[in-house]
Amino acid sequence: MVTIAARDLGIRYGKTSILSDVNFQIHSEAFVVILGDNGAGKTSLIRTILGQTQPSTGTLTVQAQKIGYVPQFRSISADYPLSVRDFVGLGFNQPGRLWFNAQEKAAIQAAIKQVDLTDLANHRLGLSSGGQKQRAFVAQALAQEPDLLILDEPTASLDEKHSLALVKMVRRLQQERGLTVLWITHDTQWINDYADDYLWLANGDLKQGKIADLAQDVPVGHRQEVNHV
Amino acid sequence: MFEYSFMQNAFMAGTVVSIVAAVVGTFVVARNYAFLTHSLSEIGFAGAAFGFWIGWPPLLGMMAATFLSSLSIGALDSRYTKRDNVTSAVSALAIGLGILFLALGHTATSAATGILFGSVLGISHFDLLVLLALALVVLLVMLVDYRPLRQLAFDEAGIYRDSWSVRITKYLFLAVIALTVSISAQLVGSLLIFVLITLPAASAKYWVTGVARLMGVAVAFALFGTWMGLTLAYLTNLPTSFFIATIEVVIYLLSLWSFRQRA
Repeated sequence: MVTIAARDLGIRYGKTSILSDVNFQIHSEAFVVILGDNGAGKTSLIRTILGQTQPSTGTLTVQAQKIGYVPQFRSISADYPLSVRDFVGLGFNQPGRLWFNAQEKAAIQAAIKQVDLTDLANHRLGLSSGGQKQRAFVAQALAQEPDLLILDEPTASLDEKHSLALVKMVRRLQQERGLTVLWITHDTQWINDYADDYLWLANGDLKQGKIADLAQDVPVGHRQEVNHV
Repeated sequence: MFEYSFMQNAFMAGTVVSIVAAVVGTFVVARNYAFLTHSLSEIGFAGAAFGFWIGWPPLLGMMAATFLSSLSIGALDSRYTKRDNVTSAVSALAIGLGILFLALGHTATSAATGILFGSVLGISHFDLLVLLALALVVLLVMLVDYRPLRQLAFDEAGIYRDSWSVRITKYLFLAVIALTVSISAQLVGSLLIFVLITLPAASAKYWVTGVARLMGVAVAFALFGTWMGLTLAYLTNLPTSFFIATIEVVIYLLSLWSFRQRA
């Protein structure tokens, strides 16, 4: 089963071409890492997958019942006045309803448990650590019971230890729940053992493959980093 | 003091306005809309002045102006510009127009100060009914669109699809703020709109978590300030707005201090 397929995909903003004539397939229940420098088009690709922008050329097919999305930027200050549990429930956004029903409560509870935040469920999110916040962000997406989970630079503000813990956790969830995961990052140091497949974005082009194959293609400056595994 | 009907009206109006302002304020503070809200009150001032000039009730002029500007701010808001800059532009124009309308209408200074500083002791029984009706409209909208508004205010980043329902919620929220600003201005005046919409909600977030509890505590702070303010104004013959403002600021500073001790 294929969850996402791109055929001759081109993405441009105004006169700026971000990606051109790109082809790739993402299989269901795969953990796929999207690599690339800042400005390589990772976020643009994600925006197109999410349906926020339309391809300028070619086609992009996304076959997912529900997408869970963990955005890159989310400022949660110390005085942010929701508990972890409240925050995880924010995705239930249907109008005309006030309280959570039993099913919604169960989904929230299960998501909190799966990211190991049960003990902190009533804790103020603003006063949680960076790693705990990221886990709460993942839980909010999980509570919606997605089949495709997209994480945009989830480790940007975490140190290596917590980054590793997060990727291990998402890998475990992916296997338990049978999720397709897209993990966007520019840091390849520690993620290599956990991914099934890689998309490498550079200079408007996209390469797909295992990390060893990609090492031949990626620019010299990054080769060492990729080979580091 | 309750033997006077103007005090009865003032207390009832104060109660209604405090509840609505604090409930809406909870979302305003969460969405960082304090500056927009303040600007809307300045725009409301222009609207009321316009009302005086053409012979409308000031509240009607205020509502028309805040509605129109909140919707245009919503339409101008985009990822190409900072929201605050758009708001500044609209609000600067509004204050200029307000001054023009006051001059054109040869409006008495007392009417102008009434708009700017509030005139709660002059609220009639009819004004009270109008406030009550408007308050019910605001609360009904909040009730029906509670969940979308909650997500928009507390986690806009989590909304990844700009669907029509998200857009409706954004405009609905702006309209609700416009209405709340217009009715709150009747109590504390358009210069002190922060006092009932922003401050109680900003104080509440240092004490509790969860949207329902935030609203509850914000309402309690707003009501306490309003009731104390009216009582003190009655006893001392000094302006009500001064007392309400002072009480709410003290509550805010104490809340902030207490949170820093605990955090």
